[in-house]
Amino acid sequence: MAVRTIEVREKVMAKNDELAGEVRRRLGADRVAALNLVSAPGSGKTLLLERTLERLGGELRMAVVTGDVQTQNDADRLARHTTNLVQAVVTHGACHLDARQVLTALEAIDLPHTDLLFIENVGNLICPASWDLGETAKVAIFSVTEGEDKPLKYPKMFQQSRYAVLNKIDLLPYLPFDRDLAVRHARTVNPDLRFFFTSALTGEGLETWCDFLRECARLRAAP
Amino acid sequence: MSLAFEICRIAERAAGPERVGQIVEVGVRVGDNAGIEPENLAFCLEVLLRQPPFVNAVPRLLRQPGDVLRVDYLEVNDGRPHD
Repeated sequence: MAVRTIEVREKVMAKNDELAGEVRRRLGADRVAALNLVSAPGSGKTLLLERTLERLGGELRMAVVTGDVQTQNDADRLARHTTNLVQAVVTHGACHLDARQVLTALEAIDLPHTDLLFIENVGNLICPASWDLGETAKVAIFSVTEGEDKPLKYPKMFQQSRYAVLNKIDLLPYLPFDRDLAVRHARTVNPDLRFFFTSALTGEGLETWCDFLRECARLRAAP
Repeated sequence: MSLAFEICRIAERAAGPERVGQIVEVGVRVGDNAGIEPENLAFCLEVLLRQPPFVNAVPRLLRQPGDVLRVDYLEVNDGRPHD
């Protein structure tokens, strides 16, 4: 019996990249800056978003797309802090959001009346690094409970991100965590990474973070 | 795993529904800078390619410089005699 060869030569991410291009086109047409928040589970990105919505909800028009493997818990939490749309995507087992899901979510968002879009990705520092969602920039969030070497362990995520947030800094006095070493590790894999240091719990560092978001909204881009 | 699913989706579409069960090998070109651990990808593919709609296909990862990640070819045993 004959074994026949079928030439395929298709980039694995080709379809996703095409759809990400369409997301980017739509966001660009309405000049909406979109930040894709990526982290391991438990880094505090939902609480950071809650505090962000509380602080900036009165001055910026923000929309959120949340991705969760199961449940809409994050979307429900965020919806308590904003009257703007929180669009939940339940991935049913997939460990990342893809551009098709974001494109579908955009259908329900009033983009011409949105200043800033947050995409809260599924908690995972591996797979979301490979999937372009059409965002303006990725923001890698990690916390002081995770170890300084997180950027070295997951270099692709930190290479792909333009910004990093080190969260839960209120715990620094109680943990053997070297903040400068964490920053050095991160800049080893991405020298251009811009850092924010926050405690979503106590509010420390949130004003600098919010100033950055105001700048994103003003420029309609990531500075 | 997400990339392995995507590779299987591409293979399934390229072969078509009639021939997907006849795939015996899936060739994937993986760049050294693709940000992928080839052994992990191969393991995920080995698991998925033994499940329906596939029957008993195997992955073959072809390493090369650069950041390419591409499904290169499928080998299909269609049960027909040699031409």
